[in-house]
Amino acid sequence: MGALVDALRRLGSLVRRHELEDRLDDEIRFHVEQQIEKNRRAGMAPVEARRQALIRFGGVEQMRERTRDEFRAGLIEHLARDVRYGLRSLRRHPGFTAMAVLSLSIGIGANATIFGVARAILFRESPLHDPATLVNIYESDAGRPFAPMSHPNIEDLRKGTTDVFRGTAASTFAVAQIDGGGTVSMVMGEAVTGGAFTLFGVEPALGRAILPEDDIARGGHPVVMLSHGYWQRAFGSDPQVIGRALKMSGRSYTIIGVAPASYRGGLPAVTPAFYLPMSMVDEVMGIEMLDQRNFHNFVLRARLAPGVTRAQAEHAASLVATSLNTARPEGWIPGEQFVFVPTSDVQVLPGVDPLLRAAAWLLLAVVALVLLLACTNLASFLLARAVDRGPEVAVRRALGATRGALARQLLVESALLGLAGAAGGLALALVLLNVLLSIDLPLPYGIRLDLHFGLDQTALLDWRVLTLTAVCGVLAGGLLGLLPAIQGTRAHPGSALNAGGRGSDAAGPVRWRSALVIAQIAISLVLLVGAGLFLRSWQQMLAVDPGFGRAPTSILSVMMPVTRSKPGDAVQRTRRLLERFRTLPGIEAVGLVWPLPLEFSSSHTDFTIDGRLPPPGREAFRSERAWVDGAFFDAAGMAIVAGRTFNDGDRRNSQPVAIISQAMARRYWPDGDALGRILRRPDPAEADLVIVGVASDINVRSLGEAPRDVVYECYTQGDGLPGFSFVARSATDPAQISPALVAAAQEIDPDLRVYQSMTMTRHLALSRLPAQIGAVLLVAFAAIGMALAAVGVYGMVRYSVAMRTREVGIRMALGADAAGVARMLATHGVRLVLFGGVIGVAASLVAARFLATLLFGVGTFDPVALIGAPLALGIAAWLAAYLPARRASRVDPLAALRAE
Amino acid sequence: MVKDKSDVLQGTLDMLVLRALQLEPMHGWGIAERIEQWSEQVLQLGQGSLYPALYRMERQDFIRSEWRVTDNNRRARYYSLTARGRRYMNESLAQWRRMSRAINLVLDVTAVS
Repeated sequence: MGALVDALRRLGSLVRRHELEDRLDDEIRFHVEQQIEKNRRAGMAPVEARRQALIRFGGVEQMRERTRDEFRAGLIEHLARDVRYGLRSLRRHPGFTAMAVLSLSIGIGANATIFGVARAILFRESPLHDPATLVNIYESDAGRPFAPMSHPNIEDLRKGTTDVFRGTAASTFAVAQIDGGGTVSMVMGEAVTGGAFTLFGVEPALGRAILPEDDIARGGHPVVMLSHGYWQRAFGSDPQVIGRALKMSGRSYTIIGVAPASYRGGLPAVTPAFYLPMSMVDEVMGIEMLDQRNFHNFVLRARLAPGVTRAQAEHAASLVATSLNTARPEGWIPGEQFVFVPTSDVQVLPGVDPLLRAAAWLLLAVVALVLLLACTNLASFLLARAVDRGPEVAVRRALGATRGALARQLLVESALLGLAGAAGGLALALVLLNVLLSIDLPLPYGIRLDLHFGLDQTALLDWRVLTLTAVCGVLAGGLLGLLPAIQGTRAHPGSALNAGGRGSDAAGPVRWRSALVIAQIAISLVLLVGAGLFLRSWQQMLAVDPGFGRAPTSILSVMMPVTRSKPGDAVQRTRRLLERFRTLPGIEAVGLVWPLPLEFSSSHTDFTIDGRLPPPGREAFRSERAWVDGAFFDAAGMAIVAGRTFNDGDRRNSQPVAIISQAMARRYWPDGDALGRILRRPDPAEADLVIVGVASDINVRSLGEAPRDVVYECYTQGDGLPGFSFVARSATDPAQISPALVAAAQEIDPDLRVYQSMTMTRHLALSRLPAQIGAVLLVAFAAIGMALAAVGVYGMVRYSVAMRTREVGIRMALGADAAGVARMLATHGVRLVLFGGVIGVAASLVAARFLATLLFGVGTFDPVALIGAPLALGIAAWLAAYLPARRASRVDPLAALRAE
Repeated sequence: MVKDKSDVLQGTLDMLVLRALQLEPMHGWGIAERIEQWSEQVLQLGQGSLYPALYRMERQDFIRSEWRVTDNNRRARYYSLTARGRRYMNESLAQWRRMSRAINLVLDVTAVS
């Protein structure tokens, strides 16, 4: 109770601060006057009476300070006073304050942004119940260690492992045409095994989840669950959405539930818009994939039964693989195994995760360096201020302020800067996240990354990021403030007052500041070299010729509704489409291909060659495979280097023929006699092929890859295909051709599902995306880093110049020329820059080795980056050092001398 | 006739100030004067400690203060005891008496022996 009253009283006196100050002044005056009067009554002369009274009273300032301490004693009061004083002092130096806060904001903002995004992609925690017992299962053979599963394989695996798993759940991409009241859009969702949500322990946010009874009869369960993000985007978070109908791919589905915001589905990297029962995927996609053993498109997750170890489950799975190897069902890849990876270890795909993690760590390291630069800037400024404040500190010390109080004052000021920086950083992070999330990535099939779970971008800045930001801010402010605080309060009253205003015993701080500048230059140089390497990498990537699509080209990807037509019918329809496309104005050539090169899907075929043994341990050779029509090569800008292309004579009942890639021809028939040879295929479903042509090489799986063996088959000779990409080379802007293609396609065949329409440029941009993102981000951060370093150098030189104003005045008065003086003043800065540069180059050489896996076509010792980066930084730093020096050398000598 | 002058013992200042205020409200200078007078000029209050003590005790609710006009028509801050302050003073006084008696006993014993 008493303590509370006391606290309130203290708070009250805080408010009445001025009143109390005035009261104390009045009391002191009264006291002294009373004493004077008394002295005079005792017979002293007026002057003497006054003198004695003042002596008797003692040190007024000291007493005043102590009394103040009394009526505002306690931490809150001191803090409040220090904060108020700190704010005032920061306001008095707006340039310094703005620069310090801006530096910190940039450092903290960059960190908060990158941490937020990295967390969303890589370190998101799994909302799955008991993740330790969950495993992801992949198919694995020599070429592809972590391939998606095919559904028949999943079924066989499930039947053979019922006693080691409590349950299994498969997921696959389901692209649906959703009719949103007039506008039809392609939306990507996920088909899941019924009961998957229960298996993973994911509770729906609304309604119910997809249950096992929703997933029994093929095509018999038109129910759909919405993802949280899609529910917000398309339905405005309407709680009444349950039970409503959603028209998907021409059929009405009942909305049964909404998934929680934290659940992002089971597909790699992307967040689906909706969830369907697996039994509906064939219908919604309009293709048959559930029964095709060679359709590797399913992610399988399983929960271990209680008491069963992963090794035991792996053993059970290997028995299934062995029996499949013996039975050889159609479409089974001989020698395949099932591999298990703990679900919590998988971020996107086990194959690409190491690369993604490396990239994320690189980015985090980069932003950490930026923050470090920002903090050194702040430290450097604070140090300069502490030296500047030497006289002020000395005066306050002489007036009775304790060292602790002064140090506290400086700390509070630094902490204020830190907090302001944290606030600015947060604001910056919000802006950056907004920008990042609004960037239109060239992703296919209407895929959305939904990093922010469909929520506001603030959702990315969760408490961890916020705490981190705040701690960064306060620590940066507090810790860096500590140094100048110790340094500043050590100043002895006498020496600082005598030094003529400028702290003369400043050798220590100047040395420390020089060290900071050297560190800044070195750090920013490392960033710049890294950025240079990534820029070069991107440049190399842009220079890569994928071997196709150089001319203006647009691409139209469709799914064939084969389930509702006879195989011959599909070819007829496709031919009609091609003919219609050829009549469109502006189009020079149209061909079709499946799968589209450099897209996610790929296809391969096994074959043997007479007189040539397959590789050891294998029964056949393997190559990439694509179905095309005869016009594809021309439309894609490829060349037939030998033989012929496909023509109308290549029909379903004629001799099956193949065109092979130049690389393949060279490998197997180096003498150039590939034409007429036969590819014998062990799979009974695939006919032997006669080679009739050789086509120029293209990149199939990744840009810049070594030319691969590719077998092109004629689409008219295959069974019905799930879909095609039409490739249309045009004389005009391909972006204008695309709508015409879509319209023509729907006019010819209203059942056709158009799932993608884009230009070739955009398609190729997807392959270049990682290099582009890397280059853009690194260059941006390196530029920020360079700017921070330049500000650091500028501040340092400007400050040391200010300290030498008198010296400059004397030199000028003695006849030194301005240029010489400027050179002299800049020399120190330039020397530091050179020193930092040498360290930086050495450090970059070490750092570059860690980048090797992320770079494309650039060695880690890249002369362009290693010369260009120091050059850029050198120019910036030289300007930063020279400008303030030159300005100082222009001063009027007399004014400079008088300034002291 | 110079008497020994000593600073007020640490911790006893509060007691002396409260004691001085026991009879009537007084301003700072009056308190200092009264203590000096009572102690026959032995105890001299350093103003450096008087005012901080006054402000502290006011915060602790032992005394309160108000502006009044002095006899010779000057404005001065008058301090007066609160009930809490009176209690506190009585407690510390009792303790002081016990303490000084004990010390005196010890000193007397040593003097006799």
